[in-house]
Amino acid sequence: MQVVVLTKSVPNTTGDEGLGPAFRLDRNAIDPIINPNDEYAIEVALRLAETQPGVQITMLTMGPAAAWPGLSKGLAVGVHNAILVSDPALEGSCALGTANTLAAALRRITFDLILAGADTSDGRAGIVGAAVATLLGIPFITHAGTLAVGNGAVQVRRLRDDGHERLEAPLPAFVSVTQEVGDLRYPSLRGIMGSRSRKPTTWSLGDLGIEPADAGGARATTIVLDVEPPQPRLPARIVAGEPGAVVGEIVEFIAERRIVS
Amino acid sequence: MNGAYADVPGYLLVFPVVYGAVAYFALAMARHLRVFAAAGPSNPFASVPRRAWGLIVYALAQAKMFKDARAGLMHFTIFWGFIALTIGTADIIMGGLIQAVVAWPLDGALWTAVTALQNVAAVGVLLALGYAAWRRLVSRPRRLALTRGALIILGLIGGVVGTELLAMALEAARSGDRAGAVVANALAVPLRGLDPRLLEVGFLTCWWAHIALVAAFICYLPGSKHLHIATSFFNIYLRKLAPRGELPAMDLEAESQTFGVRTIADLGWKDLLDGFTCTECGRCTEACPANATGKSLDPRAMIMGIRHLAVDAERGLNLIPNSPLVRDAYGLDDRLAPAALAVPIVDAAIPYDAVWDCVTCGACVEACPVLIEHVDKIVGLRRNLVLEETRFPPELNGAFRNMEQVGNPWGSPRADRMDWTKDLPFPVPTAAELARAGTLDSLDVLYWVGCAASFDERNRKVARAVATCLSAAGVRFAVLGQEESCTGDPARRMGNEYVFQVLAAGNIETLKRYGMEKRTIITACPHCFNTIGNEYGQLGGTFEIVHHSVYLQGLLAAGRLPIAADGDGPKRAVTLHDSCYLARYNAIVAEPREVLRQLPVIELREMEKRERSTFCCGAGGGRMWMEESRGTRINEERTRQALATGAQAVVTECPFCMTMIRDGLSAAGDRGAGVQAIDLAEVLAASLLAPAAAAGATQTSGPRQG
Repeated sequence: MQVVVLTKSVPNTTGDEGLGPAFRLDRNAIDPIINPNDEYAIEVALRLAETQPGVQITMLTMGPAAAWPGLSKGLAVGVHNAILVSDPALEGSCALGTANTLAAALRRITFDLILAGADTSDGRAGIVGAAVATLLGIPFITHAGTLAVGNGAVQVRRLRDDGHERLEAPLPAFVSVTQEVGDLRYPSLRGIMGSRSRKPTTWSLGDLGIEPADAGGARATTIVLDVEPPQPRLPARIVAGEPGAVVGEIVEFIAERRIVS
Repeated sequence: MNGAYADVPGYLLVFPVVYGAVAYFALAMARHLRVFAAAGPSNPFASVPRRAWGLIVYALAQAKMFKDARAGLMHFTIFWGFIALTIGTADIIMGGLIQAVVAWPLDGALWTAVTALQNVAAVGVLLALGYAAWRRLVSRPRRLALTRGALIILGLIGGVVGTELLAMALEAARSGDRAGAVVANALAVPLRGLDPRLLEVGFLTCWWAHIALVAAFICYLPGSKHLHIATSFFNIYLRKLAPRGELPAMDLEAESQTFGVRTIADLGWKDLLDGFTCTECGRCTEACPANATGKSLDPRAMIMGIRHLAVDAERGLNLIPNSPLVRDAYGLDDRLAPAALAVPIVDAAIPYDAVWDCVTCGACVEACPVLIEHVDKIVGLRRNLVLEETRFPPELNGAFRNMEQVGNPWGSPRADRMDWTKDLPFPVPTAAELARAGTLDSLDVLYWVGCAASFDERNRKVARAVATCLSAAGVRFAVLGQEESCTGDPARRMGNEYVFQVLAAGNIETLKRYGMEKRTIITACPHCFNTIGNEYGQLGGTFEIVHHSVYLQGLLAAGRLPIAADGDGPKRAVTLHDSCYLARYNAIVAEPREVLRQLPVIELREMEKRERSTFCCGAGGGRMWMEESRGTRINEERTRQALATGAQAVVTECPFCMTMIRDGLSAAGDRGAGVQAIDLAEVLAASLLAPAAAAGATQTSGPRQG
C-alpha cells in the first residue's frame, strides 16, 4: 500500500521569524521544520506500516530547496521516500496554486492513501488538503483521531464536540489528522545518521508539466494587503496575600469582566 | 623440610589441600576473566603514580571506609589483622620458610615480635568480627542485608582466626609458653591442668581445622561477595581518573557498534570488574536520593545485577579451559553462554523506571569504598534506550526537541536570551558587539549565563545579581547573548548524546570564534561549568571556566567588592545547599562558604549532608524535565533537611537547585513560610555597599516560570 504524507516546511516559531518583501516569509531568517500538524500524519503512517505489511510511505513537499534539512527528520523516523517540488516560480503561491501543484505531483505517482495535518502553523488556511482531494476527485475526511485501513477502505474515528464518530471512505482517499493521534516518535540515532546523507527526489514545474507563468505569486488568487503585529500582552497581575483575601480579589476581578456569568 | 611443624602428624597433607584450593581459586578467577574478554575495551592504565597513590589512600588506608567511622574501624582492624595473621598461615604452607628467615637475625626477637603482633591482631579481628556480627544480626543498619553469604564469611574468618589462636594456646599449654604469644600463653594458663593427650587431640583438631578453613575460604571466595579482598586492589588501581563529571566519550559515526550499553558485552571489562568488586555494603544505596525517596533505583542491586549477568555468561565455560585439540576430538563446548551475553541489562539488573530515576548526583560513586562507577553505567543504559530503542519518558520528547530546535530545554525563543538585562543600570555587552567595536581584547571574562538564568523568571534575578557584582568590582565582562546555546548537559545525561554533540559543537565553535580558549569564562550554573570545563575537551574545546562562587570569592579576597558594614541588627541564619555538580563532582566547597563568612550579617548553619556528601535537589541528570511520580519528591526531602537547621534562607549556587528548593519550600507549607531560596550571588549583591545593589537583585518574590 502506498501512503503519501503531505508535509509542509514551516518556520520554527522561535521568535526570530520575520517577513520579507510582499509580506512573504523571510526564509533566510528562519529555521525550517516540518509543520507540526503534519508530524501527526507521519506518525499515523508509521503506525500503519507497523501493523500492515507492504506499506510504503512517501513524503511530498512543495517548498524551496533550503527546506530539505528540516524535512529530513521524516526519513530519520522511518519514512521511505521524499519528494520535494521546488521551483523559483512557485514563490508566492496561494492555497489553490499549492493544491494544483501538489495534485500534479500526486498524479505522477501511485497512492492509496494521502495523509496531512489539519492545517499548517504558518498559512493556517486549512484548505489545501480539501483542494487537493477535490482536484484528484477522491474522498476527503478531516480531523481524524485514529485511523485503520482494511477491505479497500479507510476507517476513521474522529472527535466531535459531543463525542466520537466513525467514518469510512473507499481508497484511494485523503485523510487529515489532528493531534489526538499523538506525537511523532523520536528518531533513533541510526535513523538520524542514515537520513543525513539522503536527498529527496526533486521535481521542478517542468517535471510536472506546469508552465511557470501559470504558477506562483503571479497567479495567486489571494494577496496579502497588510500585516500588523499583535498588541503587546499586558503584564500579568499577581495577587499575593492571605488565601481568603486573595480569593476575594480574584472573584472580584472575574466578576468585573463578566468572564463567568 | 617440615622442621618447624615436626610435631604435626601428616603435615605434608597441607600442601595438596591448600595449594589445591589455590589452584581452584586461580582457575575460577581465570573463568571470570574469560567473561571480561567478551566485554568491550577499557583502558585504565595511564598515570601509574596517581594510580599507585590511590592504592595507598583507598586500599591500605581505606580512606573512604572511615566516613562511617565505626564500620571503618571495624573493617580496618579486620583487614590489617587478617594480613598480620596471614603471615602465620603463609609460614605453614611454605614449610616454615618465613619463620626460618625472620627468626634468623637478632636471636629470633623479630619472630617473637611477629608472633606478638599476630596474637594481638587475632584478638582485634575477633572483636571486630563480633561487632560485625552484631551489626548484621542485632543493630542492622538499613544498608546491610542479612544474607547467608555474609554470615558464612563472618563464620569463616572467625573460624580461621579462632582455630589458629586456639591451636597456639593448646600448644602452649602442652609444651610451654611460646615466645611473644602473649594472648595464647594467657589462654594456656587455665588449660595446663588438662590431660596432655586431650591437649594434643585438641591442638591437632584446631590446627587441621585452621588449614581446612583456610582452604575452604579460598575456594569460597571466587563465587562470593567477599571476592573484593582479591579484586578491590585492582579496581582501585584501575579506577576512573578522568574528572568524575566527564562521561565517557562516544563516537556517533561508528555505525557498526551498539550505541550505549544494552548488554554486559557493551560494557567495558572494567565495568565487569566493578561488579566482581562489589561487597554489597550498601553505602551507594544508602546515599542514593532516589532510593531514599521510595524509588526503585538501587545502585547496589544494579552493580550486583551486572555481576550476576557476568556469572550467568560463565555457565558454558569449563573450569579448566579445553585446548582446541580436545574440543575437536571430544566436541566439548567451552564457550560463553551466548544467551546470557544477549540479556539486556535493563530489566535484568535494573528496572526500566530506575534507569530514569537516577539524578546522576554521584552520591553512590562518592560513597563507594572500592571506587565503583555507577553513574557512567546508568548513562550508558540511557544512551542505548534513547539512541537505539527511542524508549524514554514521554516528557523528554519536548526537552529534546527544544534543545535541538531552539537551543534550550525550555523551548523559549532565542530572542529572549537578553531579557534578563532589561533595566540594569549598566550595559551588558555581547561578545559580538565588542568584536564589531574591536574592543574584544579589553574583556576580563565572558559570563556564560546558561539557559535557566536566561529564561526562568526567578533565575534571571540571579543573572542580574552576578552582573551586579561583576559591575561593582569593575570587571569588564560580556555575554554571548543569542549566540549562546544549552551546553548539552541535560541531553547528555538523559542519554541523548547526539543532541549533546550537536549543541557542544556549536558552542565550541562560537567560543573559539571569540578567542575564548585564551580567556576566562565564568558561569553561575554548575552544570554548564562541569560540561564546558570537563567535557568539551572530548570534542576539541579546551576552556578555562570558573564557577561564580569561586570568582566572586576571588573578587572579595582581592578587596574589589565593598561590603556594607555590620549593622546592629540580628544576623540572618542561612544554610548552604551544595550543588552535586559543584561540590561532589568538582570539589568546590570552600569558596561559597568563604563568601558567606565574609558577610557580617550572615550566620551559616550547616546541614548534616553537605559538601561532597551533599544530597541532590532532585533536578540533576535531566530530572529537571521529567515528572517525579514515583515515591516522594527529592526536593521536598532536601528542603526538610534544610529547614531542620532553622535557617531563614537556603543559599543555592545552581539554577536547578534554586527552582527545586523554591518548590520544596512552597510545598513545605507553614514550615517553609518566610524561608527564602536565594543564590550566593544574590546574598553577596545584597551586601554590597555600592548603590548598584539596588538593581533588583534582592527581590525574590514574583511570578514563577516552568
